[in-house]
Amino acid sequence: FFVLLVFFLLKVRGPPPAGSVKQRPAKHTAFRKFYERGDFPIAVQHECVGNKIAWKVEIEDLDYHYFLPLFFDGLCETEFPYEFFARQGVHDLLEHGGSKILPVVPQLIIPIKNALNLRNRQVLCTTLKVIQHLVVSAEMVGEALVPYYRQILPVLNIFKHMNGEL
Amino acid sequence: KMPKVSEVTTKADTKPKSMHRAKIWSDVVENLYRFQQAGYRDEVEYKQVKQVDQVECWPETGFVKKLQRKDNTFYYYNRQRECEDKDVRKVKIYVY
Repeated sequence: FFVLLVFFLLKVRGPPPAGSVKQRPAKHTAFRKFYERGDFPIAVQHECVGNKIAWKVEIEDLDYHYFLPLFFDGLCETEFPYEFFARQGVHDLLEHGGSKILPVVPQLIIPIKNALNLRNRQVLCTTLKVIQHLVVSAEMVGEALVPYYRQILPVLNIFKHMNGEL
Repeated sequence: KMPKVSEVTTKADTKPKSMHRAKIWSDVVENLYRFQQAGYRDEVEYKQVKQVDQVECWPETGFVKKLQRKDNTFYYYNRQRECEDKDVRKVKIYVY
């Protein structure tokens, strides 16, 4: 009886939180380094009707194998202007890439995984929108992502219950 | 319904006679918005300055796809509408 009484009175502490939803510190990306070096053919234009990214070179002439993974690497950034250039640059490259996107998909997985692993809410939302755009940007891109689900989906599994709260 | 790209022939130094602001959004207003974002009045001025016959447009919607600015950088535009309702009043419509 005494043992049962002790069990009722004393609460056993559960394990400490593992920190699965805790944000990780972001490291400086290769995107930031290349941007500060002036390696990207882009410039920001502050127009009266909103910000837009101006390309110094036609997107059709860009080497997607070089630039697209770099821009995806910039998805980890949260500060202006890096975050803006990365997000808008990825959008423009995917919108106008056509058949040049599919061969580069395997090189995009590590940057996507790094962005998701930060567990930063803003970065998560941006990366998810980028993945949506990636999938519809060209034919067979969705299918090309299937072998990499095991690298991308586990982090999304952690946040799956946060509907509307992310 | 795909908007027709303006068929105004470009003559040297064609200047507009009047201007008024757009009140409601339409396909024409959308294209004007895109030209004015790139620093041109409209398609007429773009063809005059850049000496081109055709403007690159999205085949599905007919909206302007790519423009070269006066500093020779390129602006790329989305397939779908970019001009929000709050920006419609800022679009200038020129009459020749």
